[in-house]
Amino acid sequence: MNQLQNFTKGFIKESPTFVLMLGMCPTLGVTTSAVNGLGMGLATTAVLVLSNIIISCIKSLIPDKVRIPAFIVIIASLVTVVQMCMEAYLPSLYASLGLFIPLIVVNCLILGRAEAFASKNGVWSSFVDGAGMGLGFTFGLTVLGMVRELLGNYAVFGHKLVQGDGILVFVLAPGAFLALGFIVAFINAIRKKA
Amino acid sequence: MDLLNVSGSPHVHSNESVRKIMWTVVIALLPTFAVSILSFGFDAVRLTLISVAACLLFEWLIQKFLLKKPCSISDGSAVITGMLLAFNVPSNLPWWIMVIGALVAIGIAKMPFGGLGNNLFNPALVGRVSLLISFPQQMTTWPMPRPWFSHAAVDATTGATPLGMIKTGLAQGKDMGELMNQLPSYAQMLLGEQGGSLGEVAAIAIIIGGLFMLFRKVISWHIPVSFIATAFVFATILHAANPALYIPGSYHILCGGLLLGAVFMATDMVTSPMSGWGKIVFGCGCGLLTIIIRVWGAYPEGVSFAILLMNAVVPLLNKAFPPKRFGVTK
Amino acid sequence: MKKAKSSFINMFLTLLVVCALAGAALAAVYQATSAPIQQARDNKQEEAIKQVLPPFDELKTEKKALETISIQSLFHKEAAADSLTLYHAFANGEPVGTAVESFTNKGFGGTIKMMAGFLPDGSIYKTAVLSHAETPGLGSKMEDPSFYGQFEGKNPASFNLTVKKDGGDVQAITAATISSRAYCDALSTAYSTVKPQ
Repeated sequence: MNQLQNFTKGFIKESPTFVLMLGMCPTLGVTTSAVNGLGMGLATTAVLVLSNIIISCIKSLIPDKVRIPAFIVIIASLVTVVQMCMEAYLPSLYASLGLFIPLIVVNCLILGRAEAFASKNGVWSSFVDGAGMGLGFTFGLTVLGMVRELLGNYAVFGHKLVQGDGILVFVLAPGAFLALGFIVAFINAIRKKA
Repeated sequence: MDLLNVSGSPHVHSNESVRKIMWTVVIALLPTFAVSILSFGFDAVRLTLISVAACLLFEWLIQKFLLKKPCSISDGSAVITGMLLAFNVPSNLPWWIMVIGALVAIGIAKMPFGGLGNNLFNPALVGRVSLLISFPQQMTTWPMPRPWFSHAAVDATTGATPLGMIKTGLAQGKDMGELMNQLPSYAQMLLGEQGGSLGEVAAIAIIIGGLFMLFRKVISWHIPVSFIATAFVFATILHAANPALYIPGSYHILCGGLLLGAVFMATDMVTSPMSGWGKIVFGCGCGLLTIIIRVWGAYPEGVSFAILLMNAVVPLLNKAFPPKRFGVTK
Repeated sequence: MKKAKSSFINMFLTLLVVCALAGAALAAVYQATSAPIQQARDNKQEEAIKQVLPPFDELKTEKKALETISIQSLFHKEAAADSLTLYHAFANGEPVGTAVESFTNKGFGGTIKMMAGFLPDGSIYKTAVLSHAETPGLGSKMEDPSFYGQFEGKNPASFNLTVKKDGGDVQAITAATISSRAYCDALSTAYSTVKPQ
């Protein structure tokens, strides 16, 4: 696999959100608007890239039996570092995203990539994989957020298209499942044809 | 049709067909429809027609263009879904919300599962609950029914349902005895003089429809009886424990959508258990959940949530209380 | 490099080193960022106070115990913290108002913290939400001027701080009655500390 494929696989072919179904907790929880999805996706990407790099560097030092706890400690520390740095130096971004950052720790996507990719591949490949997967995740979250915001709030990226409340069920939890289900069905239908 | 094939052989043959059952249900719904016309006037006709037409249209579109299967709309199930959905909304609902409800009922709750016979949840209730969550304002302003045969404008006054009045009153710290004086009397609720959705205001019309379906053996007694009895007993115990906070059980039965749900929606063949005991447990669960949600929940009415929650456990109930198999000895 | 074996000593050492390094890194970052974080929080606090009060040049902070507060709303019984922070503002030595940092646990998503500014006569000047975890698109509309604007200039002595559904004067956010009630709850808690005796 060349590095370009390695990078682009996260968008459609192995999309974390729509195909691998990884990291469903933030996917369903924060995508009430496109901006929330975008922010969460980018924060996750930052952690994912860093964790992939670190883990692929030290992969041969870690005994197999304790790799999961070691990975989790590394990921959790990274998330905390990102959170503290953001609060200190980017307070306005932190104000809108701060709530979601602790959620990254429990994101299976990061542990999943550490386990499935970074612990078996070189540093450069792992970096590309992390960036591609992270941006693919961002893309998925943003699309889901856009659909939910459009239907639930009649708005696109915070700009109201029609005054008044939308079909509120889409900004609530059941709407997350509905929208995700129909987007996945749509993507599967296209993949089947292609 | 393959959808009656739910049990092992041998099968008893009868001249029942899906179509015949469905149209019997439609006939059973007519008395309720008649009362809603008397109470809410032309609005009731308009909404019901829109809802039925939209349900038929969406089912036809999905079958023709997405599933590419033979058309099945003449089996009458979409007509029932449309009627029940319309009976579950206030009469002044804007037409486009009604259409969204029909789209949710058919396009989300029914067809993605494979159409009639495969849906896990009652489509009309899914449509209704989605609308309630999505358009809380429009779904909870209830025009008051006018006295029968009068020509007064219908939408002149809006008011709360009896259950809504109770919830608001209790939140204001009023005593239940004081509230009871403002609530409609038993006779008013029997005949349809209470605020509420199209089809839930007149208890007597629902009972007539239910008896008709029982007589034609379209439904069995298990679910309605266990549903209503459980709700009555549970509410009566609560009332006995603290009459200042809880209304009597008989009042719970007559107000809101409990009768409509127990007779027409919980008994839906597709989404209820197959065996007698399964049905009884299903009905008891519905009754219990309804009262719990009404008394302690955020929403004043709990029938639709209760039935949907119990729909979800139907596969388990079918396992725990399997239908009788002929020719097998234990 | 050869893969490390899963012997006891290897596992023990690896986890020890990983945890120690992670702990050290966290400590270092905490050291480096704690001052800017405190600074950012203070700025936010000060900005919130400025936002809800008329211009002032001097602040006096006071802690007021919560037990002395009269129980105003149905939901007040379970308050967790036992005191509120009051910021008395002065301009040229004259009192111009008081900002109260108030909270409620009755939000749909838990605690809501708010800053409420009162004029010396007890009427509300402005309010601002400091933090909340309400449902985006529903309860989060408490940060919309269309909701909090209705409190400005109202005196709780005559303006009943409960939602209309419960018989008060507050227009609740559509489909977010619980969040609206919580907002009123926090606001009446704040008011009870500055109410003219």
